Formats: sequence, structure tokens, C-alpha cells
Amino acid sequence: MSSTKKCVLACIDGSELGNAVSGYAIWLSQNSQSPIKFLHTIEHSHRTEHAHHEGTITPNMKEHLLDELSDEERSESKQLIAQGKDILNKARQMAEQAGLSEIIAKQRHGTLPDALSDLESEIVMVVLGSKGEDHDGHKKGLGSQLEEAIRAIHTPVFIVKDEKLSEPKKLMFAYNGSPTSKIALEFIKQGTFCTASLEVHLVCVHKNLVDAEKLVVEGQRVLAEGDINTKTKALEGEAAEELIRYQQDNDIDTIAMGAFSHGKVHGLFFGSFTTQMLLESSANFLLIR
Amino acid sequence: MLLSAKQDWLGNIRGDILAGIVVALALVPEAIAFSIIAGVDPKVGLYASFAIAVMIAIVGGRAGMISAATAATALLMVTLVKDHGLQYLLAATVLAGVLQIVAGYLNLHKFMSFISKSVMTGFLNALAILIFMAQLPELTGVTWHVYALTALGLGIIYLFPYVPKLGQLLPSPLVNIVVITLIVYFMGIDVRTIGDMGELPDTLPIFLWPDVPLNFETLQIIFPYSISIAIVGLLESLMTANVIDELTDTESDKKRECKGQGIANIGSGLIGGMAGCAMIGQSIINVKSGGRGRLSTMVAGTFLLILVVFLSDILSIVPMAALVAVMIMVSIGTFDWGSIKSLKTNPTSASTVMVATVIVVVWTHNLAFGVFTGILIGSLFMAQRLSQFMYVDSDYNEDTDTRTYTIIGQVFFNSSDKFIAFFDFKEAVDKIVIDVHRAHFWDITAVAALDKVVIKLRREGADVSIIGLNDASETLLDKFAVHDKPEEIEKIMGGH
Repeated sequence: MSSTKKCVLACIDGSELGNAVSGYAIWLSQNSQSPIKFLHTIEHSHRTEHAHHEGTITPNMKEHLLDELSDEERSESKQLIAQGKDILNKARQMAEQAGLSEIIAKQRHGTLPDALSDLESEIVMVVLGSKGEDHDGHKKGLGSQLEEAIRAIHTPVFIVKDEKLSEPKKLMFAYNGSPTSKIALEFIKQGTFCTASLEVHLVCVHKNLVDAEKLVVEGQRVLAEGDINTKTKALEGEAAEELIRYQQDNDIDTIAMGAFSHGKVHGLFFGSFTTQMLLESSANFLLIR
Repeated sequence: MLLSAKQDWLGNIRGDILAGIVVALALVPEAIAFSIIAGVDPKVGLYASFAIAVMIAIVGGRAGMISAATAATALLMVTLVKDHGLQYLLAATVLAGVLQIVAGYLNLHKFMSFISKSVMTGFLNALAILIFMAQLPELTGVTWHVYALTALGLGIIYLFPYVPKLGQLLPSPLVNIVVITLIVYFMGIDVRTIGDMGELPDTLPIFLWPDVPLNFETLQIIFPYSISIAIVGLLESLMTANVIDELTDTESDKKRECKGQGIANIGSGLIGGMAGCAMIGQSIINVKSGGRGRLSTMVAGTFLLILVVFLSDILSIVPMAALVAVMIMVSIGTFDWGSIKSLKTNPTSASTVMVATVIVVVWTHNLAFGVFTGILIGSLFMAQRLSQFMYVDSDYNEDTDTRTYTIIGQVFFNSSDKFIAFFDFKEAVDKIVIDVHRAHFWDITAVAALDKVVIKLRREGADVSIIGLNDASETLLDKFAVHDKPEEIEKIMGGH
């Protein structure tokens, strides 16, 4: 890359959330004074239109098949690229109207997680919709690539769950003292995400209140080093339940937390806390790894 | 990883199941034919194909690739089976699997980059020739019925796909088998059938440790076979993986494939199957039939076992002529016919490598020897070409009576004689300067050549000085990592 400045990456497709994703990315780009980059990935279905079942091994079979498959994929790609260009142009217009000058629009072949890990070095933060265009119409649920995409990179990810675009006002930071949540704490302290008007609620949940309060003190001490408008709360009980209740009671619009600290295998057996939160809360998420 | 695993298995269910069935139908005659090549009962190849396909579906590194009993590996087992019997083959199969796993951990798949296009073409052509030659025993000393049936079978195989609708629906090799079997059965023609070739499976395979003494003597017997099988198996598997990568425009995990082939072979040996590997032809058929995921390989293996266990009675009356027709088709399809035409147009070096690979394989019946020969000859040609990238400029300054030799290019074992020949040792001058800062001394032969030149010139009474030796000998160090950077490569190739 010629410019050394890292950018805010907005991953957009034709889904209902696309607009909101662009909007939040524009807001983040203005806040952090980073260039904005819109990314559209072209995923090949790798599925042939018609299969041949004659089962014979014929001379030059490989060459013929290669020609046929590449022709099919070529037309599929061309179509997807054209669609993506439209989506990107709309996003670009939106960013121009918002007064941004450094705008990059890019298309990449392959899946979103692959694209993210390829681009990781040039990203400061990623904005993603919680589900892609394949999932439009489903009220609940998460996109099939969401977890994989978040795991692909180590930059903070902002996840848009709501089509409605509104500037984040109240952010709940769930802190539990784990290594990833400590990384998250440092990130919040830096203030890349937090504007002066943003209210940060440091919320710690533990099985007993004394430990929860200890965590609050620990978190508050770090946040105090930064210039953050902080409120705190210690809660006793089951983490996901208490956090979601607090979020609803206090009109929190964004939940920040460390994400996917355990491996995938752990998640397979015990379920992932991050996934549970993403599924159950309607707020937007700021996930830090 | 979990997401891609899910995609690998369930991303293309309908296509994978249909393709898997097509492949299973095509695998049955091949597995039987390869058992016959190896000199074992058909059930050995059929169990192997089942075990390898099912296991590689799970542990392989290339989704959608078909592995089973193959001709390439079967050809290596012939003498082992003849001299020592089936149990030693099973033991050799397990050991080959172990060796392949080791190869996987040692990252030996990286050596695939030494295999040029010419070697690969030679490999396929040789394989095709060997498969064809293996059919000859079935076609010699037989009645005219066999020739007629084989010809009819080939006719069905190649013409049936042109039948409207039906031709694209039913695999023509299967139609060939059904038609030829019906003709022979109802007309009562007395020809050899699969049942005559040995036992077919009538039960599901069971776990069995090879019945061989576990001692050094056994190891001595099986090791040479195991190593050949392991190498040839990996060669064909990795080549096939490359073909499928190219066809589907996706990537595969070659290291995982090596280890997977090993696990699959161990599994095959332990249920009474022979060693196998990936099959280029069947894998392409799978992709062509719409198979992309691991499910297709799994279906192929499972369906094959169901087919043969339940249909073993019917299978045993299939005439060998029908099978021979299928194998001739495989042979014709595997051969790269375009490579004969391009013998004239390709550079002589490429054609030599290809032909040498074929000759050595057909001579030794061991694809590994052919590949090594191809690589060796190819490397010699490459060294020959590189040695042309060197010349010496010479310049004489009358005032100081100084002769300056400027050497530019690559000096190594193959170009060092040429390097020495550039110098004029008969010329009587006061001073001689050898400027090597734009030359590269790749090995100690090159350094020795420079020493020799300096000594010879000194003997003639000249004062010899060398400029830029540090630059020139930088290449001598085996620190290839340093040269990975563009500016380092520029320094070496650009020569300043």
C-alpha cells in the first residue's frame, strides 16, 4: 500500500444491513480520522450449471472440462462484479455526501474471512453486518460467515445488527478480567471509538458481588487513564442474562466486549459466550480480540 | 476451519451424491482390474477402494478428489504378491501408509515443484501404456468371441453418450458391462468372467492384522515395496490434487493430503485391502459429474461397498471382455495424445525428458524411477542452459601493460571449464586484473576454477589482482533465505 494510514473497512453486500454498515463506517472514519475503505467480496459458488454423468475417461478430458468450467465461472464472476460495483458506488456516494475525501472501494474474490485476513495489515477497524444477503428476511440469527470473519483478524470489529442508523450514545463495556477483555479495555481507553459525547458503562458481572466490584475497580483504574466519560456497575449473577438486562434497562445502543477468547473446539462443546450475546441482544457490538 | 469443513461436506449435497454414485460405478471395474494386475483376488482391490475412499474423504487434504486402489500402485506389488503372498502385501501396504505420514510431517510435498510439465506428461503416458499392457493377457490366446465382445464394449462406451437424454444420464461404462454380461449370459458364450479371477466380497470387510512374522526379515522383504508404493502414491495424489485445484479454482492442503493418504493406506491394509492413491481419471470424472465436496468421495466409497457386497453374485458373471473394454478406455483417456504432436514443436529438452520418463517407467514398471529419471535429465538440461549465462570481456591497456578480464554471469560446476577457456594464458603482460564483481560463483567448483586461472597466470609472470570477490562469492553461501528479497535477487541477477 502506498498510504501507510490504516483504514476503516466496511464490508458490504446487497443485504438490508448494507446501508447501516456504510453509515457506521463513515461515522467511524470521521471519528478516527482514518480513510474509509468499502469492500465487496465476490464469492464463487463453484457449482456447475450442468453436470455430465457419462462417466467415461476421454482424451483431453481435463482440458475440455477446464475450458467449460472457466467459461461458466467467468460469466458468473462478471455478473457478480457488476452487482458489486453498483453497491460500492452507492456506498461511495454516501461517503462523499458525508464529506469524506479519502475513499477506497475494492472488490476481492473469495470469502469474507479470507479477504479480511489478507487485508488485516491495512485495517484499523472493520464494520460488518450481523448477517449477509443470503440471510435477508430471517428475523433472528447470525450470518454463516460472521464468526469465521471475526476470528480471521485481530482488529476490532463493529457489528451492525440494526438497519436503523443512529450515532452511538451509550456503550456498555462488559469486563470480566480475561486476557481478551484486558485487550478490549486498553482499546476503549485509547478512545479511537469513543467520542466525547459517548457514555461508557463499565459493567462487570460475577457469581458474587464482591468479585464483580473488584473487577469494576480494576477496569475503572485503567479507563481513568484515558479521557472517557465512564459510569460503572457491578452485578451478581449469570453474565449474559445480567448484561442483556442492563443493556435494555439503560437504553444501551452498543455493547463492547472481548470476543472469542476460547478456541473453536471449545465453542463447539460449550457454546461461545460471544455468539450467545450476539444472538440475544439487539444492540450493535464492538468486538475486540 | 469449522465453517470450511461444513462447506466441504455439505456445501453441494445433491451434486456430491450424484457424482459419488457415478464414480462408484466406474470404480468397481477399475478396482477389480487393478486387483488382477497386482495378482490378488478382486475383493482385495474392492475393499481397498472402499477403505481408501471413505477415509480420504475425512482425512484428505483435497475435497472432491477420489482415491482408491490404483494401477500405479498395483503395478509395484506384482512380484511381492507372486513371491510372498497376500499377507506380505497387506503388511507392505500398512508400512507404505506409515512412510507417507512421515513424508507428510517432513513436508516432502514441497519437492513436487521439481516435477516439470514434461515429467508429468511422461508419467501419465507411461501409466496409460502400462494399463493397456496389463490388459494384454486377457486378449491373448482367447477365442474370437472375446475380441468381438471387447470391440462391442468399446463401441458402447464411446457411442452411448451420444444417445439423446439417456446418454447423459447413465454412465456408458456401466451400460457396456450390463449389455455385454446380458449377451454372454443369454447366448451362453463360454468366456472368462470376473468370478474366474478370484474371490469377490460377500461380506463387509473385517479388521485383520496382516499375518506376517514381525521381524527384521519381514521388514527387509516389504520395505523396498513400501517405499516405492509410498512415493508413487504421493506423486500421483499430489499431481491429481494439482489437477483438481486447477479445475475447481480452489486450494488444497498438500501436507494434509500426504498424511491422509498414509492413514487411508494403513486403514486399507488392516481390512485386507491393497495400497492405493488418488486417481486422476476418476477425480476428473467426479468434478465433471458435479462433485466438489468431501461427501462425493464418501458416497463413492460407501456406494461401492454396498454395490459389491449385494451384487457379488451378479458381478461374478461379468465377462472379462467388458472389463477389458473399460480399462482400454481408461488407458486411451489417460494418455496425452497431444504430447505426441508436440514432440516436434516442443524444445528437444522437454521432449527428451518426457520420452525418457516413459521409457524408464515402461521398462521398470515403477513410476517413481521414471519420475526420478525425468527430474534428473530435466535438471541437467537446466544446468546446461544456465551455463550459457556467462561471458568474459577482456580489455588491454597499453600504457600500463595491463590486461583486464571482466566476468559477467553464472559460474558453477557446469560453466567452470568454459570460464577457464576464456583466458589467454599465452599472452605475456605485466599486470592482469580479473574483475568478478558482476559474476556469481555458485559452488566450490567455480572457486577452484578461479584459483586455477590465477595460479596459471602467475606462473606466466604476471601480477594478478582480483576485484569484487566478495560480491561474487556471496552466492556461494547457502543462505537462500537472504535471496528471497527482491533487492537481494536484483543484486545477484543484475550483477552489481
